[in-house]
Amino acid sequence: MRPFLAACQLQLRLSARIPDDLMVLATVPLYTVMFLWMVKYAGRLDLLGYALLAPVLIALWAMALFVSGEIVERDRAAQVLESLLVTPTAFPLVVFARITTVTVCGLGAFLEVLVVSRLVFGVTLSIRHPGVFFLTLAATTLAMAGTALIMSAIFVLQRGARIFQNSLSYPFYVLGGVLVPTAYLPSWLRPITQVVFLSWASDLLRDSLLSRPVGAVPFRVGMILGLGVGSLVLGWLLLNRLVTRARGLGTVAMA
Amino acid sequence: MVTDGAAELPAGQRKEEFAEPRVVCWEGPAIVAVAVDGVTRVFQSGRPRSDAHRVVALDQVTLRIEEGEVHGLLGPNGAGKTTLIRILSTVLLPTSGTASILGHDVVRETRLVRPLIGIVFGGERGLYQRLTARQNLRYWGALYNIPETESRRRADKLLERLGLADRADARVETFSRGMKQRLHLARGLMGDPRVLFLDEPTAGMDPIASRDFRTLVRELQAENRTILLATHDMIEAELLCDRVSLIDRGRLIAVERPKTLATWITRYERIVVGGAAPAVLERVHKIDGVRSITINGDGTARIDTGAAGATKAVLEYLIGAGVTTLSTSLPSLEEVYLEVIGRREPQT
Repeated sequence: MRPFLAACQLQLRLSARIPDDLMVLATVPLYTVMFLWMVKYAGRLDLLGYALLAPVLIALWAMALFVSGEIVERDRAAQVLESLLVTPTAFPLVVFARITTVTVCGLGAFLEVLVVSRLVFGVTLSIRHPGVFFLTLAATTLAMAGTALIMSAIFVLQRGARIFQNSLSYPFYVLGGVLVPTAYLPSWLRPITQVVFLSWASDLLRDSLLSRPVGAVPFRVGMILGLGVGSLVLGWLLLNRLVTRARGLGTVAMA
Repeated sequence: MVTDGAAELPAGQRKEEFAEPRVVCWEGPAIVAVAVDGVTRVFQSGRPRSDAHRVVALDQVTLRIEEGEVHGLLGPNGAGKTTLIRILSTVLLPTSGTASILGHDVVRETRLVRPLIGIVFGGERGLYQRLTARQNLRYWGALYNIPETESRRRADKLLERLGLADRADARVETFSRGMKQRLHLARGLMGDPRVLFLDEPTAGMDPIASRDFRTLVRELQAENRTILLATHDMIEAELLCDRVSLIDRGRLIAVERPKTLATWITRYERIVVGGAAPAVLERVHKIDGVRSITINGDGTARIDTGAAGATKAVLEYLIGAGVTTLSTSLPSLEEVYLEVIGRREPQT
C-alpha cells in the first residue's frame, strides 16, 4: 500500500507542477456550454442530464488516457524508467496509482459542469438518486484507470503515445454512449458497447438523475467494476509482459 | 629515427599478452556477491536475421565479485560496461549465459534480486527534476517499501552524508550537475543495498565532490557492501578498487589489482621536450624503453616510453645534454587501452 500511496503523492506533486496533466479540465466549460446550447436551443431540456454528464465522462477518459501515455513517455525521457524498474515495487502498481490519481483529479470536471451550467444557463443538475450516482461515479473512475493501464502497456513499446491518445478517444466516446445512448447506435455496434464499461456507466449515471426508480443497480455497478477490474488485470499482465519484452530488446531506456 | 606527425607505435606484443582474460584472485570473504557466467548480449536492429545490424555488446563474460569488494569496470565508451551493469541490475536480459546477485538469478529471480541492489546511472537525468531532493528520496524509499519513519530518517541522513542537507527542499532542476550526481548516489542508497552498481558516478563532479565520493565508497565498503564501479578514470579505480576488470568490445580482457594499472600508466609515461637538437633526440630514441618520438607543430618533441624506468633514463640523459625545457605527463585511459589492448579497428 505504501508504494501505491507514494506513487499517488508523486503524481499529485507532478501534476501541480506540470499543468499539462490537468489541461483537459480547461476544456470542460467549453464542452458544457456547447452541449447545453444544443439541448437548450433544440428545446430539449429533458436531455439536460445528457449534456451535463458528457463533459465529465469525456474529461475523465481523456485524463486517464493522456496520463497513461505520459507517465511512460516522461519517465523514459527523464531516464527514470530504468531506475523505477529496478525497485522491488511492481511497475504496473506505480502506473495504476498515478493514473488513478489523475482520474480522481478529473472528477473536478463535475464541479466545473455544475458551476458553468448554473452561471451561464441558470440551470441546476438535480440528482434524484445520489447514492447510485456517486457509487457509479466511483466505480467509473476505477474502471477508467484500469482500462487506461492497458494503454500504458502499449506505450512501453510504442513511443508515439499521442497518436494512440488522439485516435482512441472518440471511438470510445461513441461506444461508451457518452452523449448519445448506445441504444441509438446501429444494431451491429451494440454488442461491442456491452464490453465497454463506459456504456454501462453513462446509462446508469443518467438513470440516477431521473426520478423514476433505477433498476438492477448491483448488476450494473458490478458490470462497470467487473469490466474495469478485468481491464486492470489485463493491463497489469500486459504491462509486465511488455516490460519483460523491452528488457529483452534493450529498449527500456530508449527515449 | 625521429618520426614526424602521428607516429605509429610498435605495441603488438602487449595485445597478445592479454589475449586471454587474466584473473587475479581477491582474497576476501568467501561469499560471492556477483557471479557472471558466460554472459553474452547481442543487440539487433532491423531485420531479425540480418547480421548487418547485429552488435555484440558483451561476449562470453565470466566474472566473480566477492561480498564487500569494490570492483572496477574499466573500458572505453561502448566497451560493454553499462550493458553488464544493466543486466546485473535486471533492466536488461542477457542473450545467453547466467548472472546472479548473492545467489539469486537476475533473470528468473528478479523479485529477490531487486531489494538487494541499488543502481546509480551516470548523467544528469534519472531524477524527478521538478521535485525537491527530499521528495525524490522519499519516493524512492517508498518504492523499496521502507516504512515512513525510517524513510524520512534515511533520506535526511543521506542528504547530510552527501552534503545536500542545505538544499534538501530545493527543486532538483536548480541543482548543479555535481549536486545531481550526489543525489543520484543518495537515491541509489535509499534501499540500503547490499550490492551497489555505480555507472560513471563522478562524471560532472568537481574535485572536492569526487574526493568526498571516494570517502563515501570506502565507508560503504566498510559496511560490507559490494560495489561494482564502472569508470573511465584509472586513478579513481586505482584509489578505490580492490580489483579491476578491463573490458573492451564486450570482452573481458583482464582482471587485475589496481597496482597493475599504476604500472601500466607509468610504463606509458611521456615527456615533452623543447629546444632539443635532432642529434639529442636521435640518441634518446636509442634508449631502452623509448617507443617513439613525435615532433609537434610548435617545435617541441613528444617522447613516448613503454618500459619501467625508461622515463628516468631519458630525463637523466636530456638534463645531461643541457635540455631544461621538460615536462612529463601520464597517458589517458584511452591511450593506455591503445597500448594494452591494441588499436581498435574502425567500426563498420
